[in-house]
Amino acid sequence: MAAPRQTALERQYSLLGLMLIAPTVLVFCAVIVYPLVSAIYLSLFSVFTPTLQGGWVGLENYRSLLGSGEFWVSLRNNLVWTAGTLALQVLFGVGMALVLHQNLWFRSLARSLILFPYFVSTVVAVLVWKWVFNDLYGILNHVMMAAGIIDWPVDYLGTMPNAMISIILVGAWKYFPFVVIAVLARLQTIPEPLYEAARIDGAGPVARFFDITLPQLREVLVVIVLLRAIWDFKEFDLIYLMTGGGPVIATQTLPLLVYKEAFALNRMGMAAAYAVVMMAIMLVFMVLYIRRTRERRP
Amino acid sequence: MADVEFRKVRKAWGAVVAVDDLDLAIEAGEFVSLLGPSGCGKTTTLRMLAGLDFPSAGEILIGGRRVNDLPPAQRDIAMVFQSYALYPHMTVAENIAYPLKKRGVPRGERGPRVAKVAEMLQLGPLLDRRPRQLSGGQQQRVALGRALVRDPRVFLLDEPLSNLDAKLRGHMRAELVELHRRLGRTMVYVTHDQLEAMTMSDRIAILEGGRLQQFAPPQAVYAAPANRFVAGFIGTPSMNLIDGELAAGPAGPEFRAPGLALAVGPLAAGTQPGPACLGLRPEHLSFGTGPLAGTVQLVEETGHEAIIAVTLGEGGPRLVGRSPAGLALRVGGQVRLALNGPAAHLFAPGPTGRRLNAPSPSGAVAAAAAGDQP
Repeated sequence: MAAPRQTALERQYSLLGLMLIAPTVLVFCAVIVYPLVSAIYLSLFSVFTPTLQGGWVGLENYRSLLGSGEFWVSLRNNLVWTAGTLALQVLFGVGMALVLHQNLWFRSLARSLILFPYFVSTVVAVLVWKWVFNDLYGILNHVMMAAGIIDWPVDYLGTMPNAMISIILVGAWKYFPFVVIAVLARLQTIPEPLYEAARIDGAGPVARFFDITLPQLREVLVVIVLLRAIWDFKEFDLIYLMTGGGPVIATQTLPLLVYKEAFALNRMGMAAAYAVVMMAIMLVFMVLYIRRTRERRP
Repeated sequence: MADVEFRKVRKAWGAVVAVDDLDLAIEAGEFVSLLGPSGCGKTTTLRMLAGLDFPSAGEILIGGRRVNDLPPAQRDIAMVFQSYALYPHMTVAENIAYPLKKRGVPRGERGPRVAKVAEMLQLGPLLDRRPRQLSGGQQQRVALGRALVRDPRVFLLDEPLSNLDAKLRGHMRAELVELHRRLGRTMVYVTHDQLEAMTMSDRIAILEGGRLQQFAPPQAVYAAPANRFVAGFIGTPSMNLIDGELAAGPAGPEFRAPGLALAVGPLAAGTQPGPACLGLRPEHLSFGTGPLAGTVQLVEETGHEAIIAVTLGEGGPRLVGRSPAGLALRVGGQVRLALNGPAAHLFAPGPTGRRLNAPSPSGAVAAAAAGDQP
């Protein structure tokens, strides 16, 4: 290819450009590429965590992983948790955003308060919720028994499906403010004349929501769903602190399984293999997300 | 019977009065412009008619029916918005069909009606596109199509041409006039552009500060402005307005200002001598010869004519006139000029001082208007 010769000034500019992106590239390599490559490398070994000693096993880790029932149970739990909590987040989030978009006198206060669950540290939030759900002293059982809804305390975190439902609800509570903020920002940019035109054209409130609001929210909802799907899929602290994966492994998701392999069973290589598989699954979401954000409709 | 009627309509937002004591009767099939500067209440008036805002007092009637408590969809109106307000996720065809769909027109019936409108507005090839793929003029036509498809009783247009470039605006102006002629429907058109109002309307309602200043055909508004505001607002360059004194002269009433004494035409009965304002259109100044002497301040050659600004005498009033091109004038030089006294307008003092000229028979107004139009 006969590229036109660069002038001295152009060369100078490209050199400056290289110098300016070099720090970013170096940091990126150090904190993303190196750990990624070493995780994949590690997954091909059998490693004892405390000593980090072990030998090459090739794809043996992956073979036993795919053959183990625990992987498939955890993956199923992971998908149930992700789908359940994400659906509730979007439902509450959009609903609350619509409420906050109205001209209420307490709107600015409510908008600040709504962010509260999102800002509270997960550890703090989980401790509070664990007390709420506590089967002996919890306020929830107390209130429900006082109201006559139940006769006997319910074990919210120690039995299934209660435990899964509980973490899904707490996850939805913790993360729906993200949806509220993103949807609210979009709602405020929908031009008012669209609604006025629809009113003149004969659309009632429900038709206006489905014909104007929802199509306008579509793009932001796709981005929200993909982002939150990635984040919920890899959620660790909330589930670990709420149930620790229990009862037995009924709420154990893949991140918890990775942790258990690495630091409870001391099999670092196996943990790395789980992590790599998890990454491969999340890659699907990420590819979708990248394609979504990049492509412009024809 | 009037097709659209405002009766003592008032609209206030808290302490701010947007429209006050508005009485307006628009005949069926009429093209009426609501004209005025920003914040004069013209858009509020239109929105009240559409049912998007609600009057604080008074009544609005469409086709003899009180519509104060009717939602927009039941008023038998269609509206074209300044921003067009096309539904961005729908195609052109879906946009136009939307009002039919929401009114339960069967699917099979919608297609032909959309096609008919599309043909009228030359939108045929664009029916499958989305609004963002259209130019401003095309979007404008789609917005018109969405209004037309339902065949409403009254069309409301809110500055529909203000987002177009000058050339397209001229073209769309002609198209709208043609459309109005063909449909014969009542149209209420909001604009701040006097050229649009003058060229398109059957009658113009001029508003200022929430109050109706004059409601008359364009020629009448131009030839016999009802008050000083209308006089200064209509016409480019604007009418010369000179504050001075009305006095009894030897041969009838005379207007006096520093450096100027002009005999004026017959005045309305009961007009007293005292402070007044003289209004003189630029075309009623003639340059070259005349009893007055002025100093040339500015000459703007527009090609076929020149706009000339002069000051009369020493520190006298500044006047703007138009003169055929080719008059050799130098800025700072002297020029003789004459004022056409009988064509002068006289107003009572104050920003909306009323017209003091004796009302002329309507035929005379029309004749004068024909001669006056630039």
